[in-house]
Amino acid sequence: MSKPKKMTLSRKHNLTGWAFLAPGALLILVMSFIPMIRALLLSFQTGVGANMKPCGILNYTRMFQDKVFLQSVKNTFFYLIIQVPIMLIFALILASILNNKDLKFKGLFRTMIFLPCATSLVAYAIIFRSLFANNGLINLLFVKLGILDQPYAFLTNTFSARIVIIIALLWRWTGYNMVFYLSGLQNIEYSIYEAAKIDGASAVQTFFRITVPLLKPTILLTAIMSTNGTLQLFDESVNLTNGGPANTSITMSHYIYDMSFKYVPNFGYSAAMSFFILILVAILAFLQMKVGDKRD
Amino acid sequence: MKRKILATLLASAMILSLAGCGGGSGTEAPAADNGGAATEAPAADAGAADAGTEAPAADAAGGEETLTVWCWDPAFNLNAMYEAEKVYQKDHPNFKLNVVETPWDDIQTKITTAATSGDLSTLPDIFLMQDNAFQKNVISFPDVCADLTNSGIDFSQFAAGKTAYSVVDGKNYGVPFDNGAVVACYRTDLLEQAGLTVDDFTDITFDQYIENGKKVLEATGKPLITMQAGECDLIMMMMQSAGASLFNEDGTANIVNNDTLKVVMETYKNLKDAGVLAEVNSWDEYVGSIVSGEVAGTINGCWIMASVQTAEDQAGNWAITNMPSLVGVSSATNYSNNGGSSWAVTTSCKNQALAADFLGSTFAGSTELYDNILPSGALATWAPAGDSDAYGAPSDFFGGDAVSAKIVDFSTKVPSNITGVYYYEARNAVATAITNYINGSDLATELETAESTINFNMGQ
Repeated sequence: MSKPKKMTLSRKHNLTGWAFLAPGALLILVMSFIPMIRALLLSFQTGVGANMKPCGILNYTRMFQDKVFLQSVKNTFFYLIIQVPIMLIFALILASILNNKDLKFKGLFRTMIFLPCATSLVAYAIIFRSLFANNGLINLLFVKLGILDQPYAFLTNTFSARIVIIIALLWRWTGYNMVFYLSGLQNIEYSIYEAAKIDGASAVQTFFRITVPLLKPTILLTAIMSTNGTLQLFDESVNLTNGGPANTSITMSHYIYDMSFKYVPNFGYSAAMSFFILILVAILAFLQMKVGDKRD
Repeated sequence: MKRKILATLLASAMILSLAGCGGGSGTEAPAADNGGAATEAPAADAGAADAGTEAPAADAAGGEETLTVWCWDPAFNLNAMYEAEKVYQKDHPNFKLNVVETPWDDIQTKITTAATSGDLSTLPDIFLMQDNAFQKNVISFPDVCADLTNSGIDFSQFAAGKTAYSVVDGKNYGVPFDNGAVVACYRTDLLEQAGLTVDDFTDITFDQYIENGKKVLEATGKPLITMQAGECDLIMMMMQSAGASLFNEDGTANIVNNDTLKVVMETYKNLKDAGVLAEVNSWDEYVGSIVSGEVAGTINGCWIMASVQTAEDQAGNWAITNMPSLVGVSSATNYSNNGGSSWAVTTSCKNQALAADFLGSTFAGSTELYDNILPSGALATWAPAGDSDAYGAPSDFFGGDAVSAKIVDFSTKVPSNITGVYYYEARNAVATAITNYINGSDLATELETAESTINFNMGQ
């Protein structure tokens, strides 16, 4: 008699668990997965605005002939290849400096470096735009210091416009990644460092031989997150440079937005391009996991 | 126990508010539907039962003379709608407007959502649409806008260049509203330093403009005009000043063999190379350059004057005239258009005849309305409004000139051109071309790239 009663108790627990899960799961299903499936179906249709008709994989082949889209893919990878490694190295260095037990005002420094993450994406992009404007602070400084004769149009030259976006991204996201490293560093026994010190290891050796290997899972996590974030870059492209000059700083997401809301709407094509980004993220994450995971 | 009660209270409050949200939108729509259907049915019944007397039918409908309107600027077009409501209420005491402030980007998103989902009931009766987006929306979402061609509105009294924005396949879908006639604004005090007056800039060509600009640059060190890099406002204004477009009549792209466009591109590059035109990065920088006195003038739609006038310390030092004309183009004029918007009536509107009559007897039939909204800067594109006394009043900011009358006069002379459905695509492609051309690449190649980009976008 006692056994079935126990069963009901565990079943009761299970049911309670499911009851708590159900609303969230249902909401995710309705809000997230169903739209995703609808978007996938949409990506196999073409047409202007509301007049859609099936077209097979036309949208997927079309994007490889779209010069502006290919340009946006190139731009996005430029940001990815230059910005993500610099940012992660910076974050790692900052984290190991701030992890030093003897450092004074640690809390203050940590807060200062993390603070950019608390700013709104649009607000900071607009502030960077005005910083690098023809009559902005940076030009003013350079001219007053005699480095430049006259203001340099940072945002209307391809190379400098891209660099400005990268600088902006570094400012915004380095602190965010640093926090992950800091929390990862808390899990490394301080005695390991002390042992290394006794063995006569230099700061550089400690960093490469102890910190980096032990932080590997965290580094992998941040690398995947940053890659994912960079491939979906939108706010900076729209607000800082508006994709210009001549589409040389436009990102994939920005182009998808233009295609849906600025141009004659072609939602099928936009959906297809979104799935292209998804596939890219999946491939890159998979590669990073393979490279990062040396257990086998 | 206390905590339990609190939790229950909180939970029930949440559920109630959720239900409230859901219920609110759920019940509102049917109610409106019922209302419309309920009043319509008796009216029809009355008509059927007593065919001779139409009065009861009209009365029954009279109770429901409310229209919902979406537009975006409280000081400008919302105000215009309220004034129009007052004017129309004189003859139609039961008439009421429900004006909802909705930014244009939101209106565009809502139209897109409503049209793609096929449920147009979420749309208002009348909404304001950007002229440049008119063709795109009418063709992409053919079910949204009602055809106003035979609604009794006299479209011939509007400036032809303005009405053309809202005409698709020969049918009128919009009632023109605000004026986008191009004005050239100049700082007379700066021109004086170069020994020039506004008269030296009136009815001139771009060649003369560049010559004058060099003098101003030499005397004051300031350019004559600033433009936002990567946007091609000036290029589009130059194109329309010669009645030219980036598209052919049949909707195909007209870039590579477009001689006017070539002249426009070369003129733009000459302006830039001479230092007469300076490029800035963003809209705020553009307005900033005017207000802070870094530039001796600008050329834009007349709505720019609202921004110019925020520089109160420069009052009396500004003057307006017409824009320079292109050289070597036979159809060149000194008049063009940039921006502006038009009223559209939706097909989901229950009382389209009323909406059309309202627009027809206010925005297309009342000088009183246009006089009332003139102080807010809303200039008419409706020709009879320009004859009113209010338009002859001098403006102290612009050196005592009767600027309103001048602009209405400009607007009637604006050549009409083809906007094209793929306007924004073409604009972007041309903006890319001009950026590369200024940076030294070959014009013919750039135009070819632009045309192939547009053709690619159209070929879906």
